[in-house]
Amino acid sequence: MSLNRRELLTGAAVAACWLRAPTLAGAKGRQDFFRMTERPLNYESVRGTFTTRITPTERFYLRNHFDLPVVDVETWRLEVHGLVDKPLSLSVADLTRMPQVTLEAVLHCAGNGRHFMAPHVPGVQWRYGAMGNARWTGVRLKDVLALAAPKAGAAFMQYQGAEKPMMSTTPPFVRCLPLAKAQHPDTLLALRMNGQPLPADRGQPVRVVVPGWVGDDWVRAIVDIELRADESTAFYYASGYRYPATPGAPGAAIPPEQMKPMTKINVKSIIGSLTDGDVLKAGVHPLVGVAFSGEAGIDRVEVSTDGGKTWYDASFVGPSTPYGFRVFHRDWKAAPGRYQVLCRATDTAGAKQPDAPVWNPGGYLNNAVDRVTIEVRS
Amino acid sequence: MTMIVALLLASARAIAGEDPAAAAAALTEGSMPDDAAKPLVQGKCMLCHTGDYLTQQRLNEGQWQKTVEKMRKFGAPASDEEVKIISAYLSKYWTQDAPPAKPVRAAAPPAPRPAR
Repeated sequence: MSLNRRELLTGAAVAACWLRAPTLAGAKGRQDFFRMTERPLNYESVRGTFTTRITPTERFYLRNHFDLPVVDVETWRLEVHGLVDKPLSLSVADLTRMPQVTLEAVLHCAGNGRHFMAPHVPGVQWRYGAMGNARWTGVRLKDVLALAAPKAGAAFMQYQGAEKPMMSTTPPFVRCLPLAKAQHPDTLLALRMNGQPLPADRGQPVRVVVPGWVGDDWVRAIVDIELRADESTAFYYASGYRYPATPGAPGAAIPPEQMKPMTKINVKSIIGSLTDGDVLKAGVHPLVGVAFSGEAGIDRVEVSTDGGKTWYDASFVGPSTPYGFRVFHRDWKAAPGRYQVLCRATDTAGAKQPDAPVWNPGGYLNNAVDRVTIEVRS
Repeated sequence: MTMIVALLLASARAIAGEDPAAAAAALTEGSMPDDAAKPLVQGKCMLCHTGDYLTQQRLNEGQWQKTVEKMRKFGAPASDEEVKIISAYLSKYWTQDAPPAKPVRAAAPPAPRPAR
């Protein structure tokens, strides 16, 4: 698919989506989040965020390991070094002069849904709102790496952003990508989010965008890239953000050598038009939400209003895209009673959501069938 | 279900003795119960993060000990004895079966000002 066509599709679908769900634009002062932690800033989006294809920037979740860096855009530099013939020191202006591309992709926190792991595991207790879908504009990372002329032995890219731990003894947030993924044509160094320069709390001035892959790779305010022959030994890559090659019994220890870096996002869907505890008036209500999958499109979304006994196909608003949200919709004629409303998605590769979270020590990649309990009154 | 309710009640009574409902509410809302260890926990843990990072966790004793040790490796200035006291305090209140935490509904925090 050419980028121009993708942009056209994106624009058309966004327009259609806003026509269907016009009430969800962000507004200053609205309580559009749940505060998970005050310091560092970790805020998840409320369910109502997930009825539109593009997540407005001001409603996009916030995830931080440390205090936000304050970056001087004028003096910011990105250093590219290691196994390269031509080390680089690039400014924002240097990147802005290069060919720019725009693509739509879901940013999904690895720990989104951790709260539902049983037994519980440590970490920010995200429920459902540590994700969003944006249009990212920037340069292809492969174009930047090509300028640096990687040496033949380069196989991995280690990289980090401007954020610093509160203590010098705390490991910095350093990540690593296989060079093949770094050189994928859709992997970007993004300067803009939803058409605007990246805000200070979203990675200003440049962040890594790894479409289809989990958010731990999407380093913000990137300042350093090192090409290497071997994988990084940095804490947040070699120990943190790891998932078992084969998940075991809930609560069981997994040997470190069986823990691997996460890659693609699992197929997932969420109901956005309802939230737990809602009380509706009897009548017709739209069941609206979003579905996505890391490296596949969305083929089918089903909804249930009887706790999963009976399932009905939802229809889609807009086309399936390689990395973005696909909005689904089904009208429901609701009679008085208590209901558990569910949704589940199937991607174009045939992957389906599990009925229950797949337990793992980090509480990562929870893509269990989504459930909301509500009441309908006459 | 009966067993779960009994466990919840036992956990809540351990916190506030005579008023389990108030104790459960305090846990879900992120309050840190008064306890001899509370000032130590505040002094050591909150150098880098707010208390809500602790009060939303629901962990067993082994998980708490491992987590506090990890924080010491990250730089939390705590002695062996202090690690034990902090782990015991956290294990006492924020157990696997404590009532779920309730995150606070909030507006977006103010964005930091760019340097230029």
